[in-house]
Amino acid sequence: METEIASPPNDHGNILVVDDDSEIRLLVTKFLQRHGYHVHSAGEADALQETLKRFTIDAIILDVMLPGTSGIEACRRIRQTSAVPIILLTARSEEDIRISGLEGGADDYVTKPFSPRELLARLRSVLRRSRGGDPNSSARTQNHILFDGWVLDTSRRELNTPDRILIDLSTGEYNLLVAFLEHANRVLSREMLMELAKTRTSDPFDRTIDVQISRLRRKLENTENAGQIIKTVRGAGYVFVPKVSFG
Amino acid sequence: MRERSIRWLPDTIVVRAVMILAGALIAISLVGYWVYRVGAEGLATTARDKGLAERIVSIKRAVGAIPDEIERDKAAHALATASLEVHWSKVSLVLGNAPVTERSRAMEDRLKELVPEFGAESFRVGYADDGALNAGEGDAYKHMLLVSVRLEDGSWLNFASPTFGTAHHMAGNILAIAAIVGSLIILIAILLLRWVTRPLRDLAVAAERFSLDEARDPVSENGPAEVRRAAKAFNTMGERVRRLVSERTMALAAVSHDLRTPITRLRLRSEMLDDEPTRNLIDDDLSEMELMINSTLEYLSVGSTKEPSKAFDLATMIRTIVDGEADRGQPITLKGIEHAPVLGKPVAMKRAMWNIIGNALKYGSATTIHIKREGPQVLFEVLDDGPGIPDAEFEKVFEPFYRIESSRSRQTGGTGLGLTIAKSIIVEHGGTISLHNRQRGGLRVSVRLPVKPAETAMPGSGKREDASTRQDHRNMRF
Repeated sequence: METEIASPPNDHGNILVVDDDSEIRLLVTKFLQRHGYHVHSAGEADALQETLKRFTIDAIILDVMLPGTSGIEACRRIRQTSAVPIILLTARSEEDIRISGLEGGADDYVTKPFSPRELLARLRSVLRRSRGGDPNSSARTQNHILFDGWVLDTSRRELNTPDRILIDLSTGEYNLLVAFLEHANRVLSREMLMELAKTRTSDPFDRTIDVQISRLRRKLENTENAGQIIKTVRGAGYVFVPKVSFG
Repeated sequence: MRERSIRWLPDTIVVRAVMILAGALIAISLVGYWVYRVGAEGLATTARDKGLAERIVSIKRAVGAIPDEIERDKAAHALATASLEVHWSKVSLVLGNAPVTERSRAMEDRLKELVPEFGAESFRVGYADDGALNAGEGDAYKHMLLVSVRLEDGSWLNFASPTFGTAHHMAGNILAIAAIVGSLIILIAILLLRWVTRPLRDLAVAAERFSLDEARDPVSENGPAEVRRAAKAFNTMGERVRRLVSERTMALAAVSHDLRTPITRLRLRSEMLDDEPTRNLIDDDLSEMELMINSTLEYLSVGSTKEPSKAFDLATMIRTIVDGEADRGQPITLKGIEHAPVLGKPVAMKRAMWNIIGNALKYGSATTIHIKREGPQVLFEVLDDGPGIPDAEFEKVFEPFYRIESSRSRQTGGTGLGLTIAKSIIVEHGGTISLHNRQRGGLRVSVRLPVKPAETAMPGSGKREDASTRQDHRNMRF
């Protein structure tokens, strides 16, 4: 099941594409090769395991709808031995599958039919994070981040108030909050925040970081805790004040 | 059990009705006969009692007129009959200290009533078995009515009658009794008829509640044969309708679902094109196809998604949508409260809100959104300055795949499912959606949703479930 296609010199990384549709496998392979990746591919879970044994893989793009062993199950098996970044391909409405995939250790997901450029952006993002050594890897392996009674469920990307009321966040706000939580009690400059929060999005409509922060504050704060969660440090940036724990 | 015991008759409504009628007729006849008997007996007894009482008075006068004591006794014996024994004696057969019972007092009054002359007499009434009898008189008088009348010289004339005064006086009550009996029979008939027609009413209720989304328990097939047959036919029909609809739904869902793979391929293929304008056009077409597929799948899955119900903040959700649209350069403003906790399915609700807001953005040049508390509800209003909708189309725009003419010709796109999906989701959450044309042009969409009850604000309290979570047994995945 493994396909390898002669490609221009590429050193961006070894990517494994797993999808039962051979056309999609081929097209994704071509697309990623164009962008400088070395691509392996597999059509089902056994071939996936085989490829993992034979090659050093930097990231996996994994369709959840596989014949035989499901993508979710495959994802769990990979996690038992490896921390390789995994991006899931799911159908739009399969939210529960997506969540169990993220809980099963996947790093990100893209919904089918996906835009190739979005897939590329997500791939770059997970690769950058895994190569960056990720000093706050606890945030990635733990599903819950707690602060001041609030809970951020990173596998569901859900923020809940101390009263357990779900607060809706945009992708930008979510990324910004995660950046703050991973660097709590540290003054973060606008540039650092922009860099940290952008890692998981390629949204060209992102407003300036200040607008994002004011929107996030508005959602986190009420009359009692106004200005208490994210503080402005004049001339330096912002600091996330509450104590953060992972669990 | 019951059905087996009356198997020799066909168990139809006709037979049951005839049985009820026959039963009621027999009951009426029996009661009528009883009433007649009691009434006639009462009249006869009254006549007889009156005769006896009059005889007592006349015998007393006749015997009282005889001075000789021996002659008195003889005369008394001569006047006695089988129904009325008479003895003359120095003492009263009924003791002076005899217990005055209910029965003896009633008899006393009756005697006075029947023969007014009794009123002037001195007499005692008693029943032997009430202990009124003189000691030593023996068992002979045991069940008899005893009447002792005092003569002028202080001696007594004792009467004993076995048949005296057994009947009750009731001539005046006959009508009342007939009325009571009549209403009793009507009541019984009503209860019986209600019992017989209950399966029919159950069937009607089941038909009213019939729903495609919910596999309810089938109607129980019991009752008379006609009803059993109707219930069975109804269950079969319901099953067939549900299967038919679910087959069609699944076919549509399968096609929509399967289109995703070719669309994904096309997206990848177009990415290979070097001709950028063409590539962008292809991407636009693909996006449109995707939109159609997604809204069709969403429409099919409303009410059957497995999304769990939870508390969420509607106000921040709308804020996210509005901020996103504003960032895309859309003319949109949001005013109102910052937080509005409601209970429901957040993903579905965001879809509904997005559809309503997207609709306003499509037709107007400026959109304003208000969100506020109104008692136990959250009111969410979307106002645009577009052309509005003719009043006659207010209901139609919620019908699936319906698009008003102006929208069709203007090539605004869309599938005609946006408001249909929004309404289904809002109704599923116990809310309402209504449309109004604004006075100065444009459309106002008002959505009302129940605020999350305060007691569920406690962390970890999941007892109070939204009604919608109970509908999650259709496990189709789209």
